[in-house]
Amino acid sequence: MDIMVLAQAIAFGLLNGGVYALAASGLALVFGALNIANFAHGDFIMLGMYATFVVSSLLSVDPVVSILFTVPIFFILGVMVYLGTLHRIMKAPVLSQVAVTIAVLVLLRNVALTVWGGQPKAVSYTMFSGLVDVGGVSLPLSRLASAILSIIALVALELFLKKTRFGIAIRACADDQEATSLMGVNTKWLYSTTFGLGIALTAVAAALIMTFQEVNPLSGVLYGLLAWVIIALSGTSEVKGVLAAATILAIAESLGMFFWDPRGRDLIVYGIFVLILMVRPTGLFGGKS
Amino acid sequence: MRKMRSSYLGVLVLIGVMVGVPFVLGFNDYYLYVATLVVLYTTMVVAWNIIGGLAGQFDLAAVAYQALGGFITGLLLLWYGVTPWAGMFVGAIGAVLLALFIGFPTFRYGVKDVWYALATFAIVFILQKLFLVWEAVGGPVERRFPDVGWSWYYLSFTHFYPYFYLILAVFAAALIVNIRVRYSKIGYYLMAIRENEEAAAMLGVDVRKYKLFALIIYAFIVGITGGIFVSIVRYIHPSLFDSWFSLQTAVVGIVGGLGSTVGPPMTGLILFTVSEYLRGTLGGVTIFGETIFGLQQILYAIVVILVVVFKPFGLGPVFDSAIQWISTSLKLKRQPGTTRPTTGDNAESSARSREVNEA
Repeated sequence: MDIMVLAQAIAFGLLNGGVYALAASGLALVFGALNIANFAHGDFIMLGMYATFVVSSLLSVDPVVSILFTVPIFFILGVMVYLGTLHRIMKAPVLSQVAVTIAVLVLLRNVALTVWGGQPKAVSYTMFSGLVDVGGVSLPLSRLASAILSIIALVALELFLKKTRFGIAIRACADDQEATSLMGVNTKWLYSTTFGLGIALTAVAAALIMTFQEVNPLSGVLYGLLAWVIIALSGTSEVKGVLAAATILAIAESLGMFFWDPRGRDLIVYGIFVLILMVRPTGLFGGKS
Repeated sequence: MRKMRSSYLGVLVLIGVMVGVPFVLGFNDYYLYVATLVVLYTTMVVAWNIIGGLAGQFDLAAVAYQALGGFITGLLLLWYGVTPWAGMFVGAIGAVLLALFIGFPTFRYGVKDVWYALATFAIVFILQKLFLVWEAVGGPVERRFPDVGWSWYYLSFTHFYPYFYLILAVFAAALIVNIRVRYSKIGYYLMAIRENEEAAAMLGVDVRKYKLFALIIYAFIVGITGGIFVSIVRYIHPSLFDSWFSLQTAVVGIVGGLGSTVGPPMTGLILFTVSEYLRGTLGGVTIFGETIFGLQQILYAIVVILVVVFKPFGLGPVFDSAIQWISTSLKLKRQPGTTRPTTGDNAESSARSREVNEA
């Protein structure tokens, strides 16, 4: 085994880990705090990728800059989706909520298909093109930049959750929804903004993914399942746990693709998923459920 | 007991009406093809109702069982010339083995709720990739069945009505199995598991055993539909593992009403017919010189969202009260002054909604 190839594979995994963690963080927030199993999460990422594509090609700006436009839009979209559907059935059986999020998934996927067609779309321009050489391992600049930006975004999220009143309310909600509402927190407002925040995070992740990938209406499945695998692996919705789990998963994926078979990617990711559910249902960093 | 008998009567009426469908459609092959698919999808929903509706396990592996059943049927035909009549049963047994392979460890290790859903959903993707990479049985090239014209042995027909009656028979069997399970001791065990697994276990219900039982019945029925499906389309390919059908089955199962014997089949027949009709009319619309796809799915999604938001317990209770209303008004004509007491599903579901409102 060539040591340089190994280093390259691990470096790719590390870089992907940051982006994957960001992609999963919105879901972790919604699932952890609101206990809503949002099956449409991946399709919000897909929609975010299209939104990034539209903004960056209309205004000829970098995908990273388009975050300024897409994040507010996605926040409002998230709040609207929550108030329009999920809030009305928060007390209904869990399966009804799942059915609604699956219907939202179908809706988003087909809106994308109707508006942009089935052909893949990619941004034409990004300021991060080219390769950088780090100790003999050459890395695409776009991946490096998106990994660094993801880490910055995750640190910001962590600070927000730990230091602000609103963040503390969200974490309290993750601990005990009823007690939080008893403490005088307006839960309708809190839930809808938290859901909006979760969806806004998908727009950030989507913009960073767009710097190195193209998008088609079916892209959502991939990232949605990936986000769930990361949350299962981490077992906690804390930012640190999600980041660690995403990095482990990304390295395993990258090693598998370098040394086994590029087509085997899904087998590795979902294999880990099924295995972790059987062997350690509480995840790597989760306490007793 | 009376509820069960009236359910059987309902099945008899429904199947009796559906036998006439090809005559109404004038044996038009395209319409019959669509009708066959509608009944096939609905059969999957009825089967799903046993594991998802009665036992409350949100299974998303439906298409894995179906496509595996189809693959086994197809490979037996292609390699050994085995008739699909036998192949579909072998395929269904293969699907049951897969169900045991999934169900045994997941139920053993207490994988529940959303995690069970995602684990079973992941199985679909794993199998799809596996059949794509494993070229001895699958591979990227589709394997077509030999063209043999009209042949009972190869289950190959030049018209669609034999397929329609075949799937109708399976549909009827699935309905009867559904009713039998629902009103048996096992059905009540399964519903107890759905409402509260720990409480059911404490009262002496062998949770793992009955969940596995429900899973096996479901996988067997869905496996059979797989054998019929490949006989209709006459090829096998890893794209048969299309995760969309798993989602569709589960969503219609929920919209139909969990555990209801009337809701899922009626909802399935209506919703799939509407969906296929819209596919025909809105599937590829040309606006301003550009063909637009996906409109029918947008409408479909909106309908599902509206139904779940306004009827969180599904359409089962709605159909139940409609049937009750019809039967009471029929009885009233015969014997003025007698009304039917409220029994069964209605009382149960209203009790459940009361519980939820209080929570």
